[in-house]
This record gives sequence, C-alpha cells and structure tokens, in this order.
Amino acid sequence: MSSVRSQAIVGAVLLMGGVMGIAGCIDSAAPTVRVVGGDPRAGRLLTEQFACGSCHEIPDTRRALGIVGPPLHTFARHVYIAGELPNVPEQLVAFLQDPPALVPGTAMPDLGLTEQQARDIAAFLYEVR
Amino acid sequence: MSSLPSPLPRPPGELEELERVWKVPTGIRRLTAVNNTYIGIYYIGTALLFLVLAGVLALIMRTQLAVPENDLVSFKTYNQLFTMHGSVMMFLFAIPVIEAIAVFLLPAMLAARDLPFPRLSAFAFWAYASGGLIFFGTLFFGVAPDGGWFMYPPLTSHEFSPGLNADFWLLGIGFIEISAIAGAIELVVGTLRTRPPGMSLDKMPIYAWVMLVVGAMIVFGFPPVIAGTLLLELERAFHWPFFVAERGGDPVLWQHLFWLFGHPEVYIIFLPAAGLVSMMIPTLARTPLVGYRWIVLAVLSTAVLSFGLWAHHMFATGMPHVSSAFFSAASMAVAIPTGIQVFAWIATLWRGKLQLTAAAWFILGFFFIFVLGGLTGVMVAVIPFDWQAHDTYFVVAHLHYVLIGGMVFPLCAALYYWAPIASGKPLSERMGRWAFWLMFVGFNLAFFPMHISGLLGMPRRVYTYREGLGWEPWNLASTLGAYVLAAGFALIAIDLIKNLRIAGKVKTNPWRAGTLEWLPLDDYATRSIPLVESRDPLWDRPELSEEVERGQHFLPGTATGQRETIVTSPIEARPQYLMVLPGPSWYPMLAGVGLALFFFVLTVKLVVPAVLLAAFTLAMIFRWVWSTDRSGDLSPVAVGGGITLPVSINGPISHAWWAVFVLILVDGTIFACLVFSYFFLWTTNPQSAWPPADVELPRLAWDWIAAAMWIASSLFIAWAARAVSAKRIRVLGRFGVSLTIACGLAAAAMLTSSFALFKTGMRPSDHAYGAIVYTILVYQAFHVVVLITMAVYTLLRTYKGLLSQANRVSFDSTRLLWHYMVVQGLLAIAIASGAPRLLS
Amino acid sequence: MRSLPSQAVFDPASRGADILSELSLVLTIGAAFIFFAVMALAIYAAFSAPRPVDERRWVVGGGVVIPTLVLAVLLIYGLLAGSALSHGEQTKALRVDVIGKLWWWEVRYQAADGSGWIASANELHLPADCIADLRLTSDNVIHSFWIPSLAGKVDMIPGHENRLLLHPTRQGVYRGQCAEYCGDQHARMALDVVVHSPAEFRQWLVRESQPARSGAGDFLLRGKRAFFSGGCATCHTIRGTPARGQLGPDLTHIGSRRTLGAATLENHVGTMAGWIVGVQAIKPGSLMPSMNVYAGDELRALATYLESLE
Repeated sequence: MSSVRSQAIVGAVLLMGGVMGIAGCIDSAAPTVRVVGGDPRAGRLLTEQFACGSCHEIPDTRRALGIVGPPLHTFARHVYIAGELPNVPEQLVAFLQDPPALVPGTAMPDLGLTEQQARDIAAFLYEVR
Repeated sequence: MSSLPSPLPRPPGELEELERVWKVPTGIRRLTAVNNTYIGIYYIGTALLFLVLAGVLALIMRTQLAVPENDLVSFKTYNQLFTMHGSVMMFLFAIPVIEAIAVFLLPAMLAARDLPFPRLSAFAFWAYASGGLIFFGTLFFGVAPDGGWFMYPPLTSHEFSPGLNADFWLLGIGFIEISAIAGAIELVVGTLRTRPPGMSLDKMPIYAWVMLVVGAMIVFGFPPVIAGTLLLELERAFHWPFFVAERGGDPVLWQHLFWLFGHPEVYIIFLPAAGLVSMMIPTLARTPLVGYRWIVLAVLSTAVLSFGLWAHHMFATGMPHVSSAFFSAASMAVAIPTGIQVFAWIATLWRGKLQLTAAAWFILGFFFIFVLGGLTGVMVAVIPFDWQAHDTYFVVAHLHYVLIGGMVFPLCAALYYWAPIASGKPLSERMGRWAFWLMFVGFNLAFFPMHISGLLGMPRRVYTYREGLGWEPWNLASTLGAYVLAAGFALIAIDLIKNLRIAGKVKTNPWRAGTLEWLPLDDYATRSIPLVESRDPLWDRPELSEEVERGQHFLPGTATGQRETIVTSPIEARPQYLMVLPGPSWYPMLAGVGLALFFFVLTVKLVVPAVLLAAFTLAMIFRWVWSTDRSGDLSPVAVGGGITLPVSINGPISHAWWAVFVLILVDGTIFACLVFSYFFLWTTNPQSAWPPADVELPRLAWDWIAAAMWIASSLFIAWAARAVSAKRIRVLGRFGVSLTIACGLAAAAMLTSSFALFKTGMRPSDHAYGAIVYTILVYQAFHVVVLITMAVYTLLRTYKGLLSQANRVSFDSTRLLWHYMVVQGLLAIAIASGAPRLLS
Repeated sequence: MRSLPSQAVFDPASRGADILSELSLVLTIGAAFIFFAVMALAIYAAFSAPRPVDERRWVVGGGVVIPTLVLAVLLIYGLLAGSALSHGEQTKALRVDVIGKLWWWEVRYQAADGSGWIASANELHLPADCIADLRLTSDNVIHSFWIPSLAGKVDMIPGHENRLLLHPTRQGVYRGQCAEYCGDQHARMALDVVVHSPAEFRQWLVRESQPARSGAGDFLLRGKRAFFSGGCATCHTIRGTPARGQLGPDLTHIGSRRTLGAATLENHVGTMAGWIVGVQAIKPGSLMPSMNVYAGDELRALATYLESLE
C-alpha cells in the first residue's frame, strides 16, 4: 500500500473517529456459475492453504495481496482464463490441476492439486466478488 | 503571630487594589496571561488534547490488529503510529499533565498567590504546546518517527533511519526536556519556599511532598535522556559513532542512558497521581490520611529506588548475572513503598466511610487496575520470567495497567474532584459514573487479553500477525475493549467541554475537604494567606475560610502595588521576605513559540530562517528578563500579623539562588552522564583500544595553561562580585573590567583546549573515543557561549544603571553558573587528558 | 487455515522452557491470589462501617512486612530458577551461530565432515536431548532471538555475541519471532525450529553440508539459467554453483525448507514463484526487489529449479 494512501486513511480515521475499515464492497450481481461437485467453502480454505494469495488478490482471503497474477474478485466475469482458455467450469478445473499443460507460457506452476481440490477452488472462484 | 486573625477592619480600596494588580487581561491579550490558574488550565487542556490524539492513534492500531493479516494501514504507517502513540502519550501527555496539574493546583494547596516563576511556566507551556503540535503534525506528512518510543540505535542512526523521522523525535523530546526542567525548578522552589507561614514540612499536604520529590527526580532523571538525545543527534547529523560497534561505539550505551531516564520517568508519572489519591481519599472517606509519615517515607524511597532499576529493561541484552540479580532485587524492592501507600489508603478507607462520588469510583478502579499492574510488574522483575515476557504483549498489558491504572484513572478522579476549583461547580456526577464504568470495563477488556496473547508468543510492535497461532480471539477482544474505553474518554471530554470553565471567583467546597485549595479563590488566589497550624486546616479550624476571605490573615492586599507572594523558610515555613512576581507579558509566549519554530526549521535544515528565529527567540527572552530584577530597592513592608518583611532579597536564601542551584544540579548531571558515557565505552572497548592505538593525547602543557585560565576567570568573577557591594557599579570600573577579563579568559581557555585537541589529529567521526571527548568539549563550549552572553547582558544592565547592591540577580546568577562552568571545565580537561594517562 | 507451529510459553519443549513454564504458572497463581486478597480487603474497607485502625499494623504489617517476605521468597525462587537454567560450561555442545539480518535469520552450522562452516537461513535444526550452544549476534540493527517453547529471549546486538544454551527434550517444530523491534518488516521476521532425533539430525546435517544437487532435465536447466541471468547470484549463494552472493539467504537447500521469507509463507513452487516476482507485495520493504523480469514459463522454471534444491 502506498504511503500516500496510508496517510489518507489515517486522516480519514482521525476525522471520523475510527471506522472499522474492513468492509468489502458488494456490487454487480452476475449470475453464479455452478461447478459440479465443487464446494466453495472448502475452496476458500484451499486457496489459503496453498497461499494462492502470494500471486493473486483474492477477496475474503487473508494474505492475498499478490500482484503476480490477475486479481480474482471479478473472476466470474472474466472471459478467458490466463488470456487463452474460455472461462468455463471444466476448463478451469483442468487448468488448476496443471496450468502449463493447457497454457504453456503461463507463469502459474502445477501445484499438484487433486481434481476434487480443483473443483472446490473453481467453485469458490466463481462465487467470490 | 498571636494577633491572627486580625480583628481590624480592612482599609477601603485594599481589595480593589488587589484585584487590579492580579487582573487577567481579556480579549487577544488573554494570551499574555501568566497566572498559574490560567496557564494551568491551558496546560491541562493541551495535555488532554494530546491524550485524545494519541488515543486515536491507538484505535487505528487496534483496528489494524483486530484480525490477522489486516491491511488497513501499511507497515510504514503502523510503525509511525506506535512510535507516535508511545512518544506522545509519554512525552506530550503524561509528563506535561502532571506538571500542568501542579501548575494549577500546587499554589492553591500552598495558599501562594502564584508559582515562583510565572513567566517561566508560561514560556514552558507555549514552547510545549506549539512544539508538540508541530511534532504531532509530522504524522500527516508521513515523516513521523518510526523507531519505537525508546528509539534504539542502530535502528535510529543515520545508517538505518536516514530520513527526518528520527530527527523529529529528537525535536519533540527537546521541548519536553525544556518544559520539564522549567517545571522542576518551579516545583522545588515552589514547595520549599512559597508555603504559607506555619506550614512546616510535616504539615505539608502529601501532594506537595510528592511534587517536591518529583521535582528532584526530574532534576536527576531527565539529564540522562538529554545527554542521550544529544549523542544520538550528533551521531545522526555528523556521524560521530557513539553507538556504532565497528568504530568503538556500543548500541547498549543508549539503552543505559534512555532507561536511566525512562524508569524514574515512570515514577515521575505515577507518584503525582498517587499523591492526588492521597489527597482525595481522606476527604471522600471523611477521615485524615492514615500513615502520613509512612507515605512520605514511601515516596522518598520510591524516588531513590527508581534510579536503581533501569536495567530491568535490559535483562535480555546479555548482562552479567550479578548485575541482573541486583536490578531484579531493586525492581522487587520498589514494590514495598508502593505497598505502603496502598495499605495506607485501604486503612484510611477502613477508618472512614467512602462517599461514592464519581471520583471515588475512579479511585476504586485505580486500585483494581494498578494493583494488578503492580503484580505483573513484580512478575517481570523475576529475571527468567522476563526473558519470556519481555517485548511481548504481556509487557504491553503490564505497562498499560500501571500507566492507565496508576495515572489516568487517578487523573480522571482528580478532574471530577477538583473541577469545582476552576469552574465553581462540579462536573456531572452522572456522566462521570457512566464514563467510569465504560472505561473500567473497556480497559480490562482491551488490556487483560494482552497478557494472554503475550504468553502465546505475540511480540509487541508488529503491524500484523499470522493466523493460526491462537491470537485471534484475544486480539479481537482487545480491539472491542479499546473502543469501549474510547467511549468512556469521549464522555469525559463532553463533560469537560460542557462544564469546565475558568470562573475566576470561586467559593466552593462540595466534598468538605480539609486542605487549603478549597479556600475561596479569585485571580489573586486567596484574599489573605492563612497561618497554618495543622495538616487539615479547614477541618481543624472551620472558620478559617471566612477569616481568610475577610482578609484577616497575612498579606490581605498588595503591599508594593505589584503582584507578590510570601517566601518562607524551607523547613519551618517562617516568613522571610516578600517576593514580587511579574505580571502578564507577550514575551514568554513569543519566546516559547519562537523556540518551537526554531527547532522545527532547524530540523528541516532551513538555515536562514533558523538563524532568524533563534535571534528572535533570544531577543524575546532578553526582553522578558530585562523587566525583572528591579524590586530590591523597596523598603520593608508590613504583611499583617505584626510581621514586617523585606521586599525581595539577595544571596543564598533568595528564590533566585535556589533556582540557579537547581539548574546547576541539572547541568552537572548532564555532564556526569557524558562522563558516564566515556567510561562506559571504555569498559566495552578492549583495553588497548581506549584510546585507540593511533590516537595521540593533547599535550599536557596546553592543558595546564587552559586550567590556569579557567581558575583565573573564576577569580576575576569573584573580584567583580566584591565590586557589586560598592556604591556605584560602573562598566568601566572595577566591576566591568573584571567581568570582561573573565570572559576573555574563559574564551581563551576554551580555544586552548580546542586547539590542543584538534592538533592531535583525532577527529570525532573516526572512533567513539574521539566522539565522546569532542562532545565533552562541545558541551563546555556551549557553556562558555551562554555565560559570555549572560555577562554581556549583565554589563548592559550595568550600563543602563539597573545593576545595584539590591538589584543584582542577573549578576548573581551569572556568577554561580560561572563558577560551576569552571569546575566543569577542569573536569573536562581531567577526562580528556588525565584519565587516559592515569588509568590506562 | 492450518495452524502454525507452537509459539507459546506454556508449551515447553526443552529443559529450560520446562522451568520457565512452571515458573510462569507459579507466578501467575501467586499474583492472582494476592490480587484477590487485596481487592477483597479494599472493597470491604471501602464499604464497611467506619472503625478504628492501628496505623502500625496496617502500614507496617500490610505495607512492609508481608511484601518483604513475599518478595524475598520470590527473589530467591527467581534466582534459583535462573541458575537452574544455566547449563554451566559446555565443551561438547553443538555450536550454531545465528545472525539477525534485515528481516531474516542467517544460521551457521559446523559442517558434518568438519570442513568448516555452512550457512543456512530462516530455519534452525537441532537434535533432541543434546545441548546446543547458540551464538547470537547481528551485523545491522538490534534483533531478539525468541523461541518461546525452547527458551526466553536473548538480544542480538551488533558488536556483542550473546550465548544461549538450549537443551530440547521434545521432537517437533516450534516457531519463534524476532522480539526486538527492528524496523520495517519486524512483524514478518520469524523462524521455525525443527527438533529432530539425534540420528535424524545427523542425517540432516550431512545432507545440509553437501553442495546443491539439482535433478537433470531441460526445464530445470532453464530455471538455473534464469537464476543467473536474473542476477540472483549477486545476493545469494548456492554452493556447488558459481552463485556466491552474501547479502541474501543461502539457497543451497532452499527446496527442503519449510517456509519462505523468514516464515512468511509456506514453501512450495507456487509461493516460490510468487515470492520471486512479487516479494514487495508480500513483504513490502524487504531488501530483495520484486524480480519481475522473467517470462511466465521462465519464472515457473526458476521456481521449479529452486524447489529442486533439497
């Protein structure tokens, strides 16, 4: 976070007498895509377990301020995965299990996810915003 | 003194004259007021403002830590937040507020018309208020200090903190050093010399006792940090390596200097609060304090012990076991005098019946929180436990229990208890009770869990923490508690804003207290200064209030047509002379603000404005002191009770001598700290490296010449002193010539020593040895500059015909400081040249 | 989220920490007892009817005699506990140097074959039931070495070498964190201590003493080339390769470590890739720059290569 922004926050909080600043913003109701057999809550835990946040910014996830890959809070509305694959559930599940196999130039490594884990994470990614 | 109360009717116009003399200016000229009641309220108000500001910083930090891995603020901001929170709370709230309360309350408790140096208080206040606001303002520009409130080098040295941040910290501390020393002079001289006739030391209110002791503690407690900040700034600005291990320095030196100040400081904050409690409990329990003498003894022994336990902040630095054991024992021993006070209070409650006012609730809250904090303090005094608890949230909990419990709760009680003296009416009892419960519950919810998070391994000063260490619930609870606590503070703030006024004329004693501050008051304080015969005069002589207000005791009007108060002897409080006090003036205020701005522009390295502001500040100070010291020609006056007193006085019993004496003690202690630094670095360096092998010592011949010139300058000053007894004192006569020769000799001695040291080829940035030797020399040079300035000032007064046998304070002060400077100069030579020759 | 290794005072795993944990418990209970007794007395005194007091009994008895007795006992207890903690002079102890860095830890062991010192970082491996002689220092600012489950904290001060003797008794992983504020990333300067069985430890040390061995294959080779082309060797050492940098942590066996960035992230190929190019987003202010110079697959190769250094 830039120093300027931090100072602005300090100023704002000083003025308002301390407002809890953790609230996320809730907007645009895109239709939720369902992933067959995927549990979004398990997916959320898995993203923390695999520290996906070291590369991605993910809402509702601790330590997820990465700037290496795309931010994931709008993932459900993205058209492509990694700029190449159509953003549909089965493609995502496959991509998560072995990214370089589907997109050879990607920086995202194969993390050794099982199919179930990939389904859970995919389900989570279509839900977060 | 049997003729008191005087039965005579008071002459017409006497009261009007008193009112005229003590009138406080209105409108914009209100800023020139120097009356202790006004300066006291401004001072308290400003300190409370800093409490609120630093409290808001704490809320931001607590919000950040509410959940793990939060990113409300960045590490850069957070590190500034906790540094500023600690520094502002300690230096801009806690120390100033105890001095502020003393400025407001002490003269009233002693029935003095004002403090002995009203303009000094005004100056200290304005310097503090403007300097403090500048210091706080750095936060909004992202350049606030970020090294933690104890600023350990090397983190804070130029290498690891190249920005201005740490310089701003040194700037902020500078003001507190100045206003604290000014406060110490007021406290010591005020309590010892401006008590009402008859109030011998054993009849002095406990609070006055405490403030006397605290004054003395400041005298010896602040110099280490003054010396430390001097060294740190020299290292930062000129790279003199006091704390750089590769060049003979030692980072641990700073820790010794800082905590040698830092631990007495904790008691400088706590003892006055305990003193306030000792005043309130007897009134609220309607019985005299149990164990008065024991409490005095306890306060004195706390003061002494507090200087022997600084190193308990350093148990983890790898100190030798023997010294650790000593500091552990001393840290535990200090619990005994505190135990005495606690049991004396409980015994007083046992003998009486507590009236449950808002103040009483705050005192009960103080018991709860402070006793708990004291017990965790004993725990961390056990060295092996400290190795675990040190620098964790356990210590954060402990220090907030003792500081908020031991100081803020009594302060709140005091606000509710003494507000009537300012406003003429109490604050809202109902709001006070609500505030108490919010604060009590909020405080414990915020800080008790920190003991646990600390033992679960959470270090202090982390801007975030990882999930999965079991810290989450405790931190969330702390954050919620912090907001509840803040709500309590907000309620008090509202109450103060609504109900606290400076009423001027006040006649109230709502809690039926027995001490003198509850006499009817006006801008001139009490109408007459009472003869005191017991510890609780208003209980033992209920008619005293009426007598005092009718002017039936001492000094019922103004004897010289100026502001004045009675000076009494330090032990028995026998009247000695009438002190004439200065009135309102722009100069102290302008000097204070000028000084603050000077430090600020110097820190941001704007040289030309800095020079201009320095000149301005000096001019204002000269203009302010110029108008003083001209009352000695007045003939003795009757002050009532059949007593006639001289007006002002010179020599060893005058308040001016006492003040200079206190200043010399401060000065000498700073010098002693520099000498300590020299020998400390000697012990941490290998024997052969002190002085470093390639260093040449100054030639002895030069040293002997310098020493001879120092002594000669003192002799010429003594010669000048004899000339002051002459009828006419002339610039071109014996007086002026010997003073001028003394100046020349001092300058020559200084140049000789500097030349001799410079010729050795050693430079201060090479090695810590050179750095500390040059520092001692620079400190001496600073004295030469100040003393020559004072001598020139004295000559100027002589030229204007203002110096006389009776009006000679400016010369006497110069003379006393001069002799001190010469002693210091000789010691400096002994250190720089003698020590390595004799002790190596 | 999986929980992290223990960092608590009351979870002792060494002989010293056992004593400290017991001492902490005794002190807590004692303090609680005195606290409630004093509070009960104060509340009773405040709310009961007035009655006469014997000043001497209250002030001298309550304020002087009782505290003096309690404190004397406590002082002796504390000093005894302190001396029980000292292990005396140890000549056969395992010597390990730990050096505080700007927001990470350098750890040096004597190589298994006695050929000199080998460097590692951010993880301390110790054998159970043996005494380790830790030498603690710093070459920058002051840090403090603190593993609550193993010992109290000892400061790491430039120009000083402090000793800490440890006698771990329980195998497992314990976490510690820098306890002296040391600037920007003080909050993320942690380390794991792995206590092995003595036999396991010997194996570990043998492996750690060897130079880096990476598997074969084009992809790993590409990663290795990326390491050198990106200039990583300016700051990092990988023994067995030309990389000899001294500013950052030794990476010879980085793949076998539990964490990255001084226990900031768990260590796997994903976090490694994220760390290399995004360190300033993960641990802002670190002295390592975000190395965002690699093509996507090159980064992946580099991360894979580093993870292969076990």
